[in-house]
Amino acid sequence: MLTSANLLLWAVLQLALLILLQEAFAWWIIAIYALLLLYSATAVLQKRSAASLKLANIVAALLTLALLLNMRQAGVLHFMLQILLLSAILRLFAMRHLHEARQLVWVQYFLIASCFILHQDMLLALIIMLLFGANCYSHYKLFAPAGARLNFTLTGRAVLIILPLWLGMFLLFPRLPPFWQIPNAKIASTGLSDSLDPGSIEQLVQDDRLAFRAEFSGTLPERQQLYWRSYLYEHFDGRTWQVHPQRRQQAVAPPTTAPDSATAGYRIIAEANQQRNLFALGMPYSSSQGVKIGSGGLIVADKVVSQRFSYSIESALAPLPLQSERERDMNLQLAAGNPKTSEFAAALRQQHTDTEQFIAALAAFFNQQDFYYSLTPPPLGRDSIDQFLFQTRSGFCGHYASATAVLLRYAGIPARVVGGYLGGDWHPQQGYLAVRQREAHAWVEYYSQGHWQHFDPTAAVAPERILQSLDMSLSDDERDMLIPFWQRSSVLQLLSLQLMHLDYYWSVWVLGFDDRSQQDLWRTLRQHIRLIAYSAVAIVVLFLVGMGLWLLHRRRLSKPLPAKQLLLKALKPALKSKAPAQSVSACLNELAKRYPNHAAMLQQLLQHYELAVYAGQPQAEHNLKRLLQQHKSSLAALNRAIKNT
Amino acid sequence: MSTLSLRRYLYQRYWRWISHYLDKRQPAADKVVLTQKLIFILPSRYGCWFMLLTALLYLLGTNYQNNLILLLSYLMLSLFLLCIVLTYQNMSGLTLQCPRAAEFFCDAPGIATIALSSAKSHFMLQLNFIDQDALTLEQQVDTAALTIQQSVRGCYPLPRLKISSSYPFGLWRSWSYISLQQQYWAYPTPIAGQQQQFSRDDNNSTAEHKTTAPSVDSLAPYRSGDSLRYLLWKRLARDPFNPVIRLQQHSPEAEPDWVEVPAVSGDALERALSIACQQLLVLEQNGNRYGLKIAGKTIAQSNGPAHLQRCLQELALC
Repeated sequence: MLTSANLLLWAVLQLALLILLQEAFAWWIIAIYALLLLYSATAVLQKRSAASLKLANIVAALLTLALLLNMRQAGVLHFMLQILLLSAILRLFAMRHLHEARQLVWVQYFLIASCFILHQDMLLALIIMLLFGANCYSHYKLFAPAGARLNFTLTGRAVLIILPLWLGMFLLFPRLPPFWQIPNAKIASTGLSDSLDPGSIEQLVQDDRLAFRAEFSGTLPERQQLYWRSYLYEHFDGRTWQVHPQRRQQAVAPPTTAPDSATAGYRIIAEANQQRNLFALGMPYSSSQGVKIGSGGLIVADKVVSQRFSYSIESALAPLPLQSERERDMNLQLAAGNPKTSEFAAALRQQHTDTEQFIAALAAFFNQQDFYYSLTPPPLGRDSIDQFLFQTRSGFCGHYASATAVLLRYAGIPARVVGGYLGGDWHPQQGYLAVRQREAHAWVEYYSQGHWQHFDPTAAVAPERILQSLDMSLSDDERDMLIPFWQRSSVLQLLSLQLMHLDYYWSVWVLGFDDRSQQDLWRTLRQHIRLIAYSAVAIVVLFLVGMGLWLLHRRRLSKPLPAKQLLLKALKPALKSKAPAQSVSACLNELAKRYPNHAAMLQQLLQHYELAVYAGQPQAEHNLKRLLQQHKSSLAALNRAIKNT
Repeated sequence: MSTLSLRRYLYQRYWRWISHYLDKRQPAADKVVLTQKLIFILPSRYGCWFMLLTALLYLLGTNYQNNLILLLSYLMLSLFLLCIVLTYQNMSGLTLQCPRAAEFFCDAPGIATIALSSAKSHFMLQLNFIDQDALTLEQQVDTAALTIQQSVRGCYPLPRLKISSSYPFGLWRSWSYISLQQQYWAYPTPIAGQQQQFSRDDNNSTAEHKTTAPSVDSLAPYRSGDSLRYLLWKRLARDPFNPVIRLQQHSPEAEPDWVEVPAVSGDALERALSIACQQLLVLEQNGNRYGLKIAGKTIAQSNGPAHLQRCLQELALC
């Protein structure tokens, strides 16, 4: 039935959908949709009739045209969501008939499911499931009698039946690979990007969001080894580092075999970052499905990571080998400018001809001169490296990495900047490492002895950053900049931490459940098939035994007393015709009156019977039995007499 | 037009086939309890759309490799499957009876009262006789009044009753065709006659009789069933294609308070029966004692609803 409560429920539901899907909408679409919803809601509240179908059609035509024009910008997926929500909102706008309401419920189911494309967070998923429940309720109301209420026992029973069915399907239903390429949401990517400005990492560090989680199959490597590589910046234009165009064209690195150095196996659950570059330690040599080991030892997803995504990697904790001559030449190219840096590098190189010695000298230079590690460095103008090295001397990891790579290139040593994350928060109980955006970091790799060696100039300036965490290496004021105000309360902090742990299990068990986990589950089931069969049989047997015992118990309860049974057996014809309300004693009394020649015997029987039943004397029962034996012949005569009458 | 008639033809064939099957499965009974044997259940149109939605969500979830969408799709599938049981339960256990035979006149729809009883509560039941208007019962009631139409007089067995429901989610439709051992009476449509076929002793009525008398010699075209005694043979010889009869009084010497149906057949009989029906009703209303003479049968004079019913039944069966 179309009640105003139902209409209002739909308006609220559509508002919630609008908020949940806001990423897919431009501001003007949100505004128009909100206005339309407001109109529908007020119409319901003021008991006005809905807008006319003509008006709804005109609005629909205009808005569809606008959305079509906007489609190139929004992308196909967003366009689909916009059109679907528009149709739902306009349906409500001009709702008159029951069949329209049914169509609306149908579209809303689809929209609610689409929310999961954009949100997989546990809390949001919970909210979306609540919306689903609300839609389900309105669906029920459409087909129920007017004024029907939910019957809680029946609903509970339905839920109990649905739950195992549902979870069983989820766990056991075969999982298929994607059927075709699908449009992805156009959302700004988060995290590191293709280019590295002097200020880009500082901005990233203020973001407290999770970048990814990692769980290790072996022990956790030492903190100094937790350099998660994500981007290689090899092209320098005098100010900004960029991913080299040639690197982009290069598809996949030649397969590498398992190395002889220390290795680490780990699984990464990456948050949606709307880009393809993912994270790995050292030199990866084997990866799971969905990702590839690209050139330069980087992990590249097959498609843009638009939802939480997990993959496994085996890495050697060793420097990467040189891939080609071209790679070396690429990392010697220099841009014009920065004359002082060039002179300084040449002078230092003359003192230290050995590469390792040169690196050590650089580290000493950063350590001994008054360089500061700061989240708020002064802005740099032209010749930014010169300015940083010889004037401001205050910078974040990006500045140090950039300056070091330039110095190395001037000294004739191939070098590049690596962007990624350093360290992470280890949660020993849950067994995972949480890496947030604030752990973003940049360091340097230089070429020496056939390999790309690792060098982190930040370690020379602020070793706490490497060994402990970012917070340790900053001043109090700067630290406060990083902590959002709501996290300053310890209770809230604890709560948010617990939520993050819950969210972790959510992503491992629900979001990360894939065909491999399913195969594992099947394998485990098959291994324990005997156990499962035995327990099933045991449960069935227990159930049957329980049933049997219960039935026996019931029969014993309804069984007449033994004394009564004796009489029933001996005087069957007489007692058979007894009215149910009449007691056995009364019946015997009546018989005694009717058949006076058996009266004495019947009185005797009656006396013993009453003693046995009402006084509970076992002796009387025994006597009754003996009496019945004695008077067998007269009892037979009595029975015959009763039968004949 | 032709597609419509084809559909109608196909539907009739289908219905003939299904009633043959149903007669074997559920012969008519005084009291029918809806059990598993009698209830059919298939997805409704909305249920098909719902299934399509589930399939679409499965595709969406698979293509995006999104477990949450898959979860939702499985949840909807479980709901769909559970609805089979729920819809079935909403029908099963309902007991139907038709305690009294329905009686009505051919021109107006009659009402057949069906008694419903059950230990459970049932919602949104839809009841109708085949090819008749449906009645929706939102809540459970004790009796349901169903319309029934019949344009030809007589006594008929009650047609099959269709009872259906798609509660609670409209995804499945459960229905049952049940046959109740009961009959219904369609009496001739009462029409006021041109002449009174019964005479009363009071003057008023004889005066009335006289005013209608001039029609004795008037002519009327022959209708099938008219008595050949009144045919104008001379005129027939002149114009064999338009036979004419002398319009005459059916019972010129009617006995007091006797309703008499003359021995005619075809359309004339129907007309005579309709007139007799009206007379019976008027007589009963006035509280007179009356009798009926019909096709060599005489029902003794009496009055009261039971007597009227007996007379009307005779008219229906004549």
